[in-house]
Amino acid sequence: MLDQLKSDTITSDLLRHIRLNKAFIIWMGVLGISFLVCIYAYTIQLRDGLGVAGIRDYVSWGLYISNFVFFVAVSLIGMLMTAVLGLIGIKWASPLARIAEIIALAFASVAGLVIISDMGRPDRLLYVFIHGRVQSPIVWDITVVTIYIIISLLLLYLPLIPDFKICYDKLEKAPKIQRTIYKILSLNWNNTPEQQKIIKNSIRVLAILIIPVAFGIHTVTSWLFANTSRAGWDSTIFGPYFVSGAFVAGCAAVIIAMYFYRYNYKLKDYITDMHFDKMAKLLVLVSLVYLYFNLNEFMVPGYKMKKFDAIHLNELFTGAHALLFWSTQLLGLVLPIIILLFKQMRKPLPVMVVSIFVLVGAWFKRYIIVVPTQEHPYLPIQNVPLNFKFYTPTLIEILITIAPILLAIIIITILSKVIPIIPIHETLEELEEPEKVGNK
Amino acid sequence: MYKKNIGLKLTTIILGSLLAINVAAQNWNIPADQSAKNSSFPFNASTAKEGEAIFTKNCVSCHGNPGKGNSLKSLSPIPPDLAGAVTQHRTDGDIFYIISTGRVIMPSFKDVLTDQDRWKVISYIRSFNKDYVQVLSKFDSGKSKLVKITMEFDAKTNQIKVLVKANETTGVVSLKNDEVELFAKRYFGKLQIDKTNRTDANGLVVFSFPKDLPGDKNGNVDLIVSVNDDSYGEVQYQKVFKVGVPTNKPSLTEKRAIWNVLAKAPVWLILTYLFCVFLVLSVFGYIVYNLFKLNKSSDIKNLKS
Ligand code: HEC
Repeated sequence: MLDQLKSDTITSDLLRHIRLNKAFIIWMGVLGISFLVCIYAYTIQLRDGLGVAGIRDYVSWGLYISNFVFFVAVSLIGMLMTAVLGLIGIKWASPLARIAEIIALAFASVAGLVIISDMGRPDRLLYVFIHGRVQSPIVWDITVVTIYIIISLLLLYLPLIPDFKICYDKLEKAPKIQRTIYKILSLNWNNTPEQQKIIKNSIRVLAILIIPVAFGIHTVTSWLFANTSRAGWDSTIFGPYFVSGAFVAGCAAVIIAMYFYRYNYKLKDYITDMHFDKMAKLLVLVSLVYLYFNLNEFMVPGYKMKKFDAIHLNELFTGAHALLFWSTQLLGLVLPIIILLFKQMRKPLPVMVVSIFVLVGAWFKRYIIVVPTQEHPYLPIQNVPLNFKFYTPTLIEILITIAPILLAIIIITILSKVIPIIPIHETLEELEEPEKVGNK
Repeated sequence: MYKKNIGLKLTTIILGSLLAINVAAQNWNIPADQSAKNSSFPFNASTAKEGEAIFTKNCVSCHGNPGKGNSLKSLSPIPPDLAGAVTQHRTDGDIFYIISTGRVIMPSFKDVLTDQDRWKVISYIRSFNKDYVQVLSKFDSGKSKLVKITMEFDAKTNQIKVLVKANETTGVVSLKNDEVELFAKRYFGKLQIDKTNRTDANGLVVFSFPKDLPGDKNGNVDLIVSVNDDSYGEVQYQKVFKVGVPTNKPSLTEKRAIWNVLAKAPVWLILTYLFCVFLVLSVFGYIVYNLFKLNKSSDIKNLKS
């Protein structure tokens, strides 16, 4: 009886945010209008060509590609949270799995669009598929990103099936179409043992599959760079360097989202201080791994200072990019690690603030990886206008870069208005479990 | 006072040597007959346009765009801006000679661009000079059609024999004392064979051919002979001879390779790719099947209860 009451409060707590309120409409309005402004910038690029951006012959990968790498990176967190932590059976992570999965889905699907913004002739997108060569990392990248989006979608959907049923049952005041969609999507869920078994099996298979796919997606992305022989990209550790960096960015993104949900959706009892503490520890762990890779990536060539590496590294350490380089390394990586080692700093607010630094740092780190290398080709730059030599993003380019970020936030916002952000079914199940054990 | 003097002297020396360099730079020692040469076709907008294309491909990297002063400053001497007074004061024949022979850093374009192309570039360079008035060559370019060249290979002596005649209305005449060059066509440009020779009284000229020149897989070499006659102009003749060493170097794109087209991708790569995609697709299939089962298993339960 008491349990019935308890599970009812849980259900209503976790369903509370599925409704339209003023705050949501204002928030979406702001996002939507900003997004439209950015889209307008893109129409200018469509009309006049890529020349409206600051990218030129030498630095031809600028903000757009940095942004793409960032998006792919953030999306990897879905794999870490649902698959890795889930398969090892780390219980505290399971209420956060859906947040991670929503972020993964939003960022992975927008990543594909980011690439299109870097195309001078997006109308020829289909040619990539028709004339692609398996030898090119780009074809693998497209394949694996598509696969990752599908798996993320499935990993979001499968655990949602029981929740859709709950939504259908409990959200009687919701519009009729919404309920019909819940009903269809709940696939006649009846909580039978067989159904439970099918869901568990399917999730397990996908959780295993997503691990190599996620490693693939970011390793292949890193090979887009590492498979060339240019100073700064010609590195054998680019794969793990990218993957570990991705976890850092993803953890930070999840923490920021957790904080937002906890306060806006009043989920204090479900996303607890303990969760922030654990996520902060996880962030420190992955950051330490990433720091280790950074050490290798810069220390080894920095010790040898081979001719062309030296030009590149001097530019990063003391040259034109030094400020950005040291800021990303110190503010985005070293300091966060140190700060989060203190227990008092692993409370929700400080963790969230540190995570914002980490996430912004992660974005600029992608820029540091993508752009400076291109400013020093092996053959000297000759007889070109001055703006070919140094990359300066244009306003239009910056707006087009912001667009995907807004789009990802829009997707996340909408998703969290139509599905429960904390898995209800699982939470209830966990409530029953100790009892079951006790009965036996 | 003393110091000042040294300074003055130094300045004089430096200025003087600079002037000397400048004079040397301008002085190309062009033979008078070359200097007096002229194009046989009139320069107009369309020849200038064709010339611009050639210029963009061959010259702009050093000289920059005429009139823009954006030549490559890191070279010594700095390639002059060709719209400048120094160049524009030269005769067409001078410029033609400079482009043809080159000097140290300025490459020779004799074997890269045809006579016609070199004149077109000059037409482009002249289009930046409003005061320019063209002097046309008096020479009748139609006459070059009368020239008849025959080429033979003598296997015993390993020599190429070239006979140069002209079919005049008055009868066949031999072209005497004409400059003749022999080239073998290579992947990039032409390779001169032997030295530049002159025809004898019978219009005959003999080149000794190397024994080790690589040919195609049958040993064929594309030979080009170029004759320059004062009254008939420049005439070229091309013929394939089986005089090279048969060489069968498969093209780099013949076999399967990472850099080749999709149809010629390495087998292991195609298989790996297909295997991965197949694996993923079968898992997706399994999931879809599971979802169907999920849907069904609920129905059965409902019926039973
Ligand atoms: C590798 C660089 C380079 C390229 C390519 C090049 N030039 Fe030059 N050119 C030079 C240099 C250097 C000089 C000055 C040479 C000297 O004074 O000894 C020069 C001199 C000249 C001059 C003489 C200028 C004067 O009036 O004193 C002419 C005419 C000229 N180049 C035409 C051309 C044309 C036409 C082309 C293309 C078909 C061309 N050059 C391609 C480097 C180059």
